[in-house]
Parts: sequence; structure tokens; C-alpha cells
Amino acid sequence: MTTAAKAQHRFVPGQPDMWAFVLFEALVFTAYFVVYVVCRTRSLDLFLQSQAHLDLRVGVFHTLVLLASSWFVARCVQAARERSFRAALTNAYLTMLFGFVFLVSKVLEWAAKLDEGFGFTTDEFFSFYYFLTAIHFLHLLIGFVALGIAVHQLWSPARRSQELVETCATYWHTIDFLWVLIFALLYVMR
Amino acid sequence: MNAISDKRMMVVWLALSAITLTQLGVGSVDGGQALRPNAALTAGAIGIALFKVRVIIREFMEVRHAPVLLGRLTDLWLALAGASLLGCYLVGTV
Repeated sequence: MTTAAKAQHRFVPGQPDMWAFVLFEALVFTAYFVVYVVCRTRSLDLFLQSQAHLDLRVGVFHTLVLLASSWFVARCVQAARERSFRAALTNAYLTMLFGFVFLVSKVLEWAAKLDEGFGFTTDEFFSFYYFLTAIHFLHLLIGFVALGIAVHQLWSPARRSQELVETCATYWHTIDFLWVLIFALLYVMR
Repeated sequence: MNAISDKRMMVVWLALSAITLTQLGVGSVDGGQALRPNAALTAGAIGIALFKVRVIIREFMEVRHAPVLLGRLTDLWLALAGASLLGCYLVGTV
């Protein structure tokens, strides 16, 4: 395929406005992450001691669950593009299921930390832990609205806007990749 | 569903999950003791995370099929995030 032909076949998945929002969100979260890293380097021992109370296995589980949800929503977009709407709906429901597993698991993790006596005001590390995970949680809740819109589109032959389905999927993937960064900064880095 | 794209997405998902699982080994680097600062591990963690994010953006979000400008903008953000996070960490700890 020539360069010109390749350029003709290129397309923006979903609405361009959503991509502007994704880049804006990415920059906002980058600012949060930079503030976290700067505060961390100023009180390294405190952050390391508090981080030791998080369970890396839980963080890995959350990441695997969201990666699976991203895979399913990508399959949903592909199926809708190929007019296989039953398969697209099934994948959208599986995305919701894995998103729900993440929500429940995150609430259980918060409850366990609170039971152990680690609250928002315990120290600077836990302030960041609750802030970053809670704002991500909020984005995930909005993600369910986006998935609801995708399901609404896929349900009826009278709607089925491929652009809207792709737009909703783009938002859901954003939630996934933001979590990948949060996981590295809260659970893994030293 | 197109068999080639479906298989490709499954391979991507399996690779991302496998990379994530390898990070479980990170928990043992401190030998079960209190966590210690580790610049190499931190650089690796941030590098791996940015690599995974790029794979998600290019494969699942289909940026590899998008106009070049979108790919460049997302790569620019990844470079900015990597430089600022690693820069702040290294300046503050090394």
C-alpha cells in the first residue's frame, strides 16, 4: 500500500472531541503524579513504610481485571464494526462485569485499610493513596455511564452509531491506562 | 469477528497481563524486610508502565490506524510523563 493510500485508510477512533478530553485528562493526571513523586522524594522513608502496608497482589489483581475489561471493550468495537451486534453486546456486558469486579475489589481494599487504621489523614502517603484511587474510582463510575450509552446504541437497529461506540470505548481504555500508571506509582516503585 | 484482529488483540492482552504478573516478583526484592529505596526498580516500574500504556493506546485504542498526528500527540504525552516522573524521582533521591 502506498503512503497516500495508507493515509486515506487512517481514521480517528470515535469522536475527535473525546481524544481532546483524553489528552487533557492524561495531562491532569500527570500533574497529580508529578506532585506525588516530588512529595515522595521529600519523605522517602515515610512513603516506603506506608507503602509496605499495601498488598502488591491486590494491585496486580486490579490491573489484570482492568486489562481484561479493556480487551473486551476493544472486542466490542471490532464486533460492532463488523455488524456482529450480538457479539458486541456480549463483550460490552463482559466489560461491565470486569469493571464491577474492580469496583467491589477496590471498596474491599479501602475497607481493609480503614480497618487496619490507615485513613486519609494517617500520613501523606495514604492521603495520596486515597486521593488517586478515589478520583480514578470516580472516572470508572463515569465509565459505566459511557458503557451504558454503548449498550443503548448496540441494542436497537434504529441507533447503532459506530462512532459513539468507539467514543465510549476510548473513554474506558483511558480509565485502564491511568490505572496502569497509578499501580506503578503506589504499589511498585521504591 | 475478524480472526486476525481478534487474535492480535488476544496476544496483546496476554502480553500485557504477563508483564503485569512479572511485577509480582518485585515484592520479593526487599527480602521480606521494610521497603528500601531502589532507583533501578523505580525506573523499571515507570518504564514498564509507560510501555504498557503505549501498547494500550496503539493497539486497544487503535491509534496505530489513526492519523499520524494523534500518534505523535500521545507519544509526546508519554515522553513528557516519563521525563517528568523519572526526572523528579532521580533529582530528589540520587
